[in-house]
Amino acid sequence: MELKSYNVSPFKLKLEDYIGIAPKIDLLIIQKLAERFAGRKFLHINSAKSGGGVAEILQRMMIILSGLGINARWEVIEGNGSFFDITKRMHNALQGNPEQISQDMWESYYEVNKSNAEKIDLNADAVLIHDPQPAPLIDFKKSGLWIWRCHIDISNPHLKTWNSLEKYVEKYDAAIFSVSKFAKDIPLDKFIIPPAIAPLSNKNRELTKTEIENVLATINIPVDKPIILQVSRFDRFKDPTGVIKAYRLVKRYNDCMLVLAGSTATDDPEGEKIFNEVKEYAGDDQDISVLLLPPSSHIEINALQRAATVVLQKSLKEGFGLTVSEAMWKGKPVIGGAVGGIPLQIIHGVTGFLVNSVEGTALRIRQILNNPDMARKMGENGREYVRRNFLITRQIRDYLSMWYIMENKGKSVLEL
Amino acid sequence: MEEIKPFEFRQCITIIKATGKKAKTLREFKDRIADASDESISHHVYHYFQKEKRILEYTNDFAQWAGETLKENILAEQLSNVDPYSFKSVNDLRDEIVGVIDAYLKTFSKTRAVLSGDEFYFNEGVTLVSPVGMQVKNLAEFLIAIRYAELESIYYHFYEARLRPPVEVDDFSHWFGDALNKTGLADRIRSIDPFMHSLEAARQHIIELVEDELKNDMEKF
Repeated sequence: MELKSYNVSPFKLKLEDYIGIAPKIDLLIIQKLAERFAGRKFLHINSAKSGGGVAEILQRMMIILSGLGINARWEVIEGNGSFFDITKRMHNALQGNPEQISQDMWESYYEVNKSNAEKIDLNADAVLIHDPQPAPLIDFKKSGLWIWRCHIDISNPHLKTWNSLEKYVEKYDAAIFSVSKFAKDIPLDKFIIPPAIAPLSNKNRELTKTEIENVLATINIPVDKPIILQVSRFDRFKDPTGVIKAYRLVKRYNDCMLVLAGSTATDDPEGEKIFNEVKEYAGDDQDISVLLLPPSSHIEINALQRAATVVLQKSLKEGFGLTVSEAMWKGKPVIGGAVGGIPLQIIHGVTGFLVNSVEGTALRIRQILNNPDMARKMGENGREYVRRNFLITRQIRDYLSMWYIMENKGKSVLEL
Repeated sequence: MEEIKPFEFRQCITIIKATGKKAKTLREFKDRIADASDESISHHVYHYFQKEKRILEYTNDFAQWAGETLKENILAEQLSNVDPYSFKSVNDLRDEIVGVIDAYLKTFSKTRAVLSGDEFYFNEGVTLVSPVGMQVKNLAEFLIAIRYAELESIYYHFYEARLRPPVEVDDFSHWFGDALNKTGLADRIRSIDPFMHSLEAARQHIIELVEDELKNDMEKF
């Protein structure tokens, strides 16, 4: 087992590249806090170097933090297939599925973390542990503030699983949740920090019309019909079959095509199975494309989102659903399930629609397809809302603010 | 001639902390408010004005949840009429809110519970304040600066300032009256109803009033 450290390339995007894109206040506060934390060690640990929103944001965040003089480091724990099978069960159970996790599994989970702890340099001034996979690393804490960052919806967890995980979580100095309702009543500071998107990454940067057309041609997506798009991992909580049902209801009235696009992640062993189920459910409808893209398909996702007429995130459970903000940033109206962090991003009727059923999804798709002016206005509102609330700069601002607050505990107003 | 005290633009953000407490029914809601920390009451009432998503028919998180989620519209209207800046302490404000809910429960005792996930979640806020790097010495400079300022700056000076002793009025009108001796303009700024405007709308009102003042000043010559 070989551990890799993803240190920052200093040649990429720095904070000043976000001037004119991100709100001025976020850039100013980041600068002020970075002056205070210059040279100090800020360690992030998660379980996947690619695939999913967490890895994507960490890649960018390291670059910005290092550019500001903070000694930022990102480590990825390693485990075998059995470890990720256990943590996937844990992930599902924490989101409410009644999974069985035996005592042996919990012990194996701990042992993998112990083995990682022996190889990772855990010395830092602030350590952010992302999600349940590396949570037991707290038992090997050496120094600094340790914060557990929960990216998933644990508002109604399978209790036995949560109780076992809670034993580790309670040892942290603080926890971060994406949405208030995910926060558990545990005896430590609980910060609410939504995740964010990187506006200058290949997944979100501006693309020319030619770039979009070329990319779509390479993945065989025609542009002769309005595209309904959902981008997500192939996961039952994202309800891909519900999306196909909604599309079939829409198709009775409006000619359109459906694209379901997603990638696999190293910590998600179920992805390929669900992908095959979705393919089978789609049948031989020529207007449905189910795409399993490599994790590095950022430009492809970007082009699909920009080519779409309406973007869906019809999740049944969701941590945050960064694809909502990604699509809104591209000026698209978004229809999302009213779960997890999605209502935090979609203002119903202003930046898109919140839905609770297949029928509701179909109704709102038809509404958008038939009202292009409304769709355009929603897209404009959405882009500005994301600019002010869901860009990576706001997330960095909040992480640094949290660190500063933890070092000045007990004060409700702090001067910078 | 005495030097004019410049106005320094500042701004603030709020980092939210969850308390882990929630309420599913109106009675639970009342009990939790009665037990909530001062920081939690302040967050749900005073920090409400920072929110872009706020629905302008209500004036605090408590009223919004009562109206939007609990569907107790009369209570939402009553809670919206509580003026949070008229109390000497957060405790007095809390007593008033609890009193309004108590009185409502005496008339409408059968209230429903909300669905799981729609509960009221009690949070607290930690405010970080920083200078913007803009100082102005007269109305013309002020007009340029306020147009350039972020909404977080408008919030800090027009809303948050009302909680800061000993002045307890918005910073703009205080500076106009105190440093520029523009008491008429100060009064007009104070007559803007803070509860009925978004931050952007409040900024536009202030700009209009300052423009009128400048126009009048120029016409005097």
